[in-house]
Amino acid sequence: MRYLTQILDIALRELGILWKNRIYGFCMIVFPLVLVLFFTTMLDDGVALDLPVGVVDQDNSATSRGLIRNLDAMQSSRVVYRFANITEARNAMQEGKVYAYLYIPEGTASKLMAGRQPKISYYYTMTCMTAGSMAMKDMKTIGSLGSAAVGQATLSAKGATPAQIKAALQPVTIDAHMIANPQGSYNYSLTTVFVPGILMLFMALLSAYALGMEMKFDTGKEWLARADGNIVVAILGKYLVHALIFLLVLFLYQWYIFDVLHFPRLGGVWSIVRLNLLQVAGGLGFGIFAFGLMPSLRMSMSISSLWSVLSISMCGSAFPVAGMDAPLQAMSWLFPLRHYWMIYQATVLNGFPVIDVWFHLVALVAFTLLPWFVLRKVKNAMLNYVYIP
Amino acid sequence: MSIFHKLKEHFSDVLYIFRQELMQVIKDEGVLMFLVVVPLGYPLLYSWIYNNETLHETPVVVVDQSHSALSRQFINDCNASPDVDIKYYAEDLDEARSLVSRQLVRGIYLIPTDFSERVSRGEQGVVSVYCDMSLMMAYKAVYQTAMVEAGRLSAGINIKKAGNYTKREDAISAQPLAVDDVAMFNPSGGYGSCVLPAVLMLILQQALALGIGMAAGTARERHRNGQLIPADDPHYRGAYRIVWGKALCYGMIGAVAAAYLSMAVPAMWSFPQMATGWTLFWMLLPYTLASVFFGLTVSCLIRYRENVMLLMVFVSVPLLFLTGVSWPESSIPGAWQGVSWLFPSTFGVRAFIRVNSMGASVSQILPEIRFLWIQAAVYLGMACLVYRHQFFVSKAAKPSAD
Repeated sequence: MRYLTQILDIALRELGILWKNRIYGFCMIVFPLVLVLFFTTMLDDGVALDLPVGVVDQDNSATSRGLIRNLDAMQSSRVVYRFANITEARNAMQEGKVYAYLYIPEGTASKLMAGRQPKISYYYTMTCMTAGSMAMKDMKTIGSLGSAAVGQATLSAKGATPAQIKAALQPVTIDAHMIANPQGSYNYSLTTVFVPGILMLFMALLSAYALGMEMKFDTGKEWLARADGNIVVAILGKYLVHALIFLLVLFLYQWYIFDVLHFPRLGGVWSIVRLNLLQVAGGLGFGIFAFGLMPSLRMSMSISSLWSVLSISMCGSAFPVAGMDAPLQAMSWLFPLRHYWMIYQATVLNGFPVIDVWFHLVALVAFTLLPWFVLRKVKNAMLNYVYIP
Repeated sequence: MSIFHKLKEHFSDVLYIFRQELMQVIKDEGVLMFLVVVPLGYPLLYSWIYNNETLHETPVVVVDQSHSALSRQFINDCNASPDVDIKYYAEDLDEARSLVSRQLVRGIYLIPTDFSERVSRGEQGVVSVYCDMSLMMAYKAVYQTAMVEAGRLSAGINIKKAGNYTKREDAISAQPLAVDDVAMFNPSGGYGSCVLPAVLMLILQQALALGIGMAAGTARERHRNGQLIPADDPHYRGAYRIVWGKALCYGMIGAVAAAYLSMAVPAMWSFPQMATGWTLFWMLLPYTLASVFFGLTVSCLIRYRENVMLLMVFVSVPLLFLTGVSWPESSIPGAWQGVSWLFPSTFGVRAFIRVNSMGASVSQILPEIRFLWIQAAVYLGMACLVYRHQFFVSKAAKPSAD
C-alpha cells in the first residue's frame, strides 16, 4: 500500500514535469499525430498511379498507336512525352521527367502482320524501385496483350468462344490471393511499420531524456526521496505516466487506421492491445537501459537515437533480414522494433496464433526487464553525479 | 578607421570565431559524435545492411493435389528459378498455412486435383498462389515467379499443339510480338543501389544539422544567462562575422564529409558510381552550403541542445520519403511537395541520384542546382537575421548580468 501511494505521488510529480516542459507534449502527442497524417496522406493511393512515361514511336501505325493507348490506359502509367529518338528519351529520364519509355521501331506493324516477330523495347529506371517495378508490370501486360491480340483475332475469325480463346492462349494461369492486403497497397505495409517505429524511437529517446533531465537540473535526489530511496518504485512511478500516454496515442493511431481508414487485419482487438503493451514496455525499457549504461543526458540520447533510427532498417520490413549477411541477422535480435514487427505481421496482420512467434514476445519482455541490470547505476548517478554541460 | 583596417579586423574576428568553434567541436563529445562518427560510421553500416541488394530463394510450400506430370513440371520450373525455393510439400491448405504461420515459408502454391485434366480438355488450368503480404519483396518473388513459369508452361503447351515445322515458327507462335524489357541504371533492381545514394546525402544534412544544433546548445549552456553569443568576448561583436566564422568551420567539416560520402563509400561497397568529379562538385557545393546554413538557422531556434536531437532524428524518415526515392515523386501530394521544398535534402538527394546512379550532367540537374543555391541564399539570410537577433538579445542581457 505504501508503495502504491508512493508510485501515485511520483506519477503526479511526473505529470507536472510533462506539463511544464513542452517538448514532451510535442514528442508524445503532436509529432506522432503529424506522422500518422503524413504517411497516410502520402501513401493514400496505395500504389503509385499514373507515373509519367514517354514513347518513341518510329512506326506511326495503327498498331503502334494502339499499344500506346493501351499503355496510357494502364493503372500506373500515363504517357506524357513523345520523343523523336532514344537519345531524347534517355535525356528526359536523366532529367527526371519520365520513369520509363517505350520504343517502337519502324516496321513493327508490317512485321507483325507478316509473322516475322518484330521487337519492341521498354526501358525503365530502377533508381526508384516502386516506380520502376510498377512501370515494368504495366509494360509486361502491354507486351503480352500485343502478342495475344494476334492469336485472338485468328481464333475469333475461326469462331471460337471467348472462354475457348482464353484457354487456347493461356492454358495454364494463376489465381493470386494476396492475403491481408489484396490491393498490394504500400500504405498498409509502410505506414504500419514507420509510425510504430518512430513512436518507439520517441519512447527510447524520451525515457533517456527524462532521467537525464533529472540529473541536469539536479532534481534526482528529490525524486528518489519521494520513493524513500527505492529505485524500483521511483522508476515505476515515473514511467507509469509515460506508458499511459504512449498507449493512448497508440490506441488512437490504431483506431484511425483500422476503423477510419479500414486497413485490413486478420487479428483481433486483443492481439493489438497485447502488442501495444509489449511495445511500450520494451521501448521504455530500452531507453532506461541506455541511460543506465551511460548515465549522461547527451550520450544516452545519442545512443538511443542512433540505435532507433537503425532499427527502422534492421527490422527487415523493406529489405528482409533473411537477405542480410549472417552477422546482421544475429544483430537484428538487439532491436526492439524487429520483434514488434515480427509479432505485428504474424498476429495482427495475418491473424496467426502468438505461440508461433513466442520467441519475439520473450525478447520484448527481456527488453522490458533490461533496466534491472542498471538500476543501481541509475540510483548512483542520481545521488552522486554532477551534470557537466 | 580606414576601410582596409576594418576589413582586416573583420577577417581576424571571423578566423578567431572559426578557431573557437572548431575547438568546441573537438572538445564536445556529443558534437564530435554527430559531426565525425556518424558521417564516418553510419554509411558503412547502411551499406552493409543493403549490400546483398536482392532477395533470392524465397521459401515456398507446395500443395500438389494434382499429382500429374504437368504439376510436377510446374513445381520443378519454379524451384529452378532464382527467386523461389520450393522448401516444403504439404498435404492440404491447413498444413501449408501453419508453415506460413511459423514463418517458415512466405507463400503457398496450390495445384488443384483437376489441373492436368482441365489443360488436356482444352480448358484453363489454374494454380492458386497465396502470398504473405508482410514483405513486399517476398510477395513479388512468389507472385512473379508463378506468373513467369505459368506463362512458360503455357507457351510450351501451345507450341506442342501448333504442330510447327521449324524452331523459328515455334518462337513466333509463342510470342508474335517480342518485348525486350531493359532495367536501366540499376539493372539488377538492387535495393541497396536504389536507396543508399539517398541515405548518404540525407546523412550529410542530418549530421550537419545535429552537430551544429548540439554545438549551439552547448554554447548556450556555457554562457551566462543562456545566451547563444558570448556577450563578454570582444571578437563576437557582429552578427555577420559570427555567421561567417561558424559557416567556415562547419563548411570545412561538411566538405570533407561530402567527399567521403559521395566518392569513398560507394567505391568501398561497389555501388553504382557514374558521376564525374566536376559534376559532383557543382552539385555538392550548393548542397553542403545549404545544409550548413540550414543547420545554423535551426540551431538558433532551439533552446536546449537535446531538443535538436528529438526534432532532427524524427524527421529523417519523412525526409527520406519526400525525396522520392522510395515513393515516386509524381505520386507525392502537392502539399507535401511544398513542405519538401523547405529542406535541402529533397533537391540534394534527387540531384545526387541522377548524377551518381544515372550519369546525368550538370545541365540535366540544373533545376535542382538552382533550388539548392536559392535555399543556400535564403538560409544564409535567415541565419544572419536570427544571429542578429541573438546578438541584440545578448547585448541587452549584458548590463543586467554585470
